[in-house]
Amino acid sequence: MYRLSFLCSFLEVKGLSSLGRFIIRRTLSIIPMVLLIVAINFFIIHLAPGNPAQLISGLEQPSPEVIEALEEQYGLNQPLIVQLGLYYRNIFQGNLGYSFIYGTSVNGLIFERAGATILLTVTAAIIAFIIGTLIAVWVGRRKTKVLDSIFSVLAYIFYAMPSFWLALVLILTFSSTFKLFPTSGMFNVRESYEGFAKIGDVLYHLALPCATLALIQIPVFFRVTRSSIDQVHQDEYITTFTAIGISRKKIFKKYVLKNAILPTITIFGLTLGYAISGAALVEIVFAWPGMGRLMLDAVFRRDYNLLLGIYFVMAVCICLAILITDIVYALVDPRIRY
Amino acid sequence: MPLLQMKNVDINYRMKKNEVKAVRDFTLDINERDIVGIIGESGSGKSTLAHGLMRILPRNGYMKASEIKLNNKDILNISDEEFRELRWIEMSIVFQKAMSALSPVHKIFDQMYDTILAHKPQVSRNEAEEKLSKLLEIVNLPKKTLNMYPHELSGGMMQRVMISLGLIFNPKLVILDEVTTALDVITQGQLLDEIKRLVNEFKLTVMMITHDVGVVNEVCTKIAILYAGELLEYGNVKDIIFEPFNPYTQALVESHPDLNPEGSTLKGIPGILPDLINPPESCIFYDRCKYRKDICKNGKPELQDYKGRKVKCFRVGELHG
Repeated sequence: MYRLSFLCSFLEVKGLSSLGRFIIRRTLSIIPMVLLIVAINFFIIHLAPGNPAQLISGLEQPSPEVIEALEEQYGLNQPLIVQLGLYYRNIFQGNLGYSFIYGTSVNGLIFERAGATILLTVTAAIIAFIIGTLIAVWVGRRKTKVLDSIFSVLAYIFYAMPSFWLALVLILTFSSTFKLFPTSGMFNVRESYEGFAKIGDVLYHLALPCATLALIQIPVFFRVTRSSIDQVHQDEYITTFTAIGISRKKIFKKYVLKNAILPTITIFGLTLGYAISGAALVEIVFAWPGMGRLMLDAVFRRDYNLLLGIYFVMAVCICLAILITDIVYALVDPRIRY
Repeated sequence: MPLLQMKNVDINYRMKKNEVKAVRDFTLDINERDIVGIIGESGSGKSTLAHGLMRILPRNGYMKASEIKLNNKDILNISDEEFRELRWIEMSIVFQKAMSALSPVHKIFDQMYDTILAHKPQVSRNEAEEKLSKLLEIVNLPKKTLNMYPHELSGGMMQRVMISLGLIFNPKLVILDEVTTALDVITQGQLLDEIKRLVNEFKLTVMMITHDVGVVNEVCTKIAILYAGELLEYGNVKDIIFEPFNPYTQALVESHPDLNPEGSTLKGIPGILPDLINPPESCIFYDRCKYRKDICKNGKPELQDYKGRKVKCFRVGELHG
């Protein structure tokens, strides 16, 4: 970040606000960060044993000539550093290459799956954030030990629950027994809905996988917000406001909440960052056509390009999520200045 | 008629298995326009006393007393809501840690305006801004301080903000809880001068809590010596500092550099504070007192009027007759 200080001094001349400068500086700093991540991923993947040319050929024992021809075709015979250079060039041209296995462009594969994944994970994260925080606020205001204990125990139970198991239990309960929700997929493949009917159908299919993810994430938001509220209650300014005679309600609504929500914002931002990588286990159980499954397939089938492409998109998303978190944080907490 | 009357105040903290008796049988009257320094070492119960008076004790703390009257009005047996109405109007408090005494994520104006709204909901933003700018001017802070956040101010500036916050409704009684402790000596000196000026300007009665005999000597008219939760001596500052009657007061004055002739060796007080869970039945200072005799072990001495002040010591007549 500090390497770009020359840019900052340039921007200062333009008279931008400090927040504006911060946003530009952080956005620019994402570029070298992502390039570095790509390089690290690139080398790590190539450390793995096995030759992709063999997989591409689709043969048990391909002849050396076939291997050589394939290596020539895909540039796999070049030194690693040259391959990395080529990869960088392609990235800058917006081309993540071709999947060895699917034989189509990685861009297309990721684009196809990203929407489904983001729909699932972001919806779940938002629901978990809202519900977890609300419960924490509700419990935190009452300060009754019983409520607190009940929710703490529940939080531990759900947090410790394996996601695929919870998914199966939900399917068993709500799909098999009560027949309220579909067991899997994203659409009803027997119907071709349009417009609102289609949206309704997707939401209908979304309910269970989303509930699974949300139930497991709610405890995180609950615990963080809960302990944060407790902490803030012990802060000295709360004593000041009590001594002044400001009503408890106002102290809580205006002062405790704003101070207590800060760590929750960070957690939410990080959750969003990992949203693109999907939730492989839940996606598999519900046959949700998302990134998690795509990535798992790519790992098992040694599809270097696809894997690198997914990692690249993930890196960009995480960096962006952290950037947005930092900006929101800066807007809420005036102590953060850059 | 004294402004603040406290009779037999006890403040305890509940712990898991037992109770810490932080303040015991504290009786003191504070007259209008008095500047009373409440002095004592850490753990002597001086801040606890202030917090008890303001009803801001932590949840495990509770106060008992036979009488507490402010302005001849009972403030002990009134409900929390009744008490809330006289908070800040009748008495206010300025805290030790000014830097963390306001919310870090709200502007100073918002917090001061909320203070006004808590008791005068009809005051408009503009009226508040005008009043607050004037108030800040009085404590030598620029008007723009209102639009700043606590972290943008220095410790001394924040302490001035806190003092002006305490003066918003011009209360009769102001409790200053170690207001100069966290500041460097120069800022401390400036702030003390300011406090002296404000006391005259606002006609304040002040309860000044501190562990610094020098600060008391500079600002206060009266001094109350608190030791392990008990009041040992109370009277005019000059009298007590120049001729302490209670052995603890004497030891305290002897351990302060500014109050002793140059070149003299400073003396510490050997020993530690007694156990406050089971306070001794004897004189509370018995363990550390260099004048102790067998009679000091038999029960507690009464707080007696002696030569124009109040002293708690079995041997006061004998030693200072």
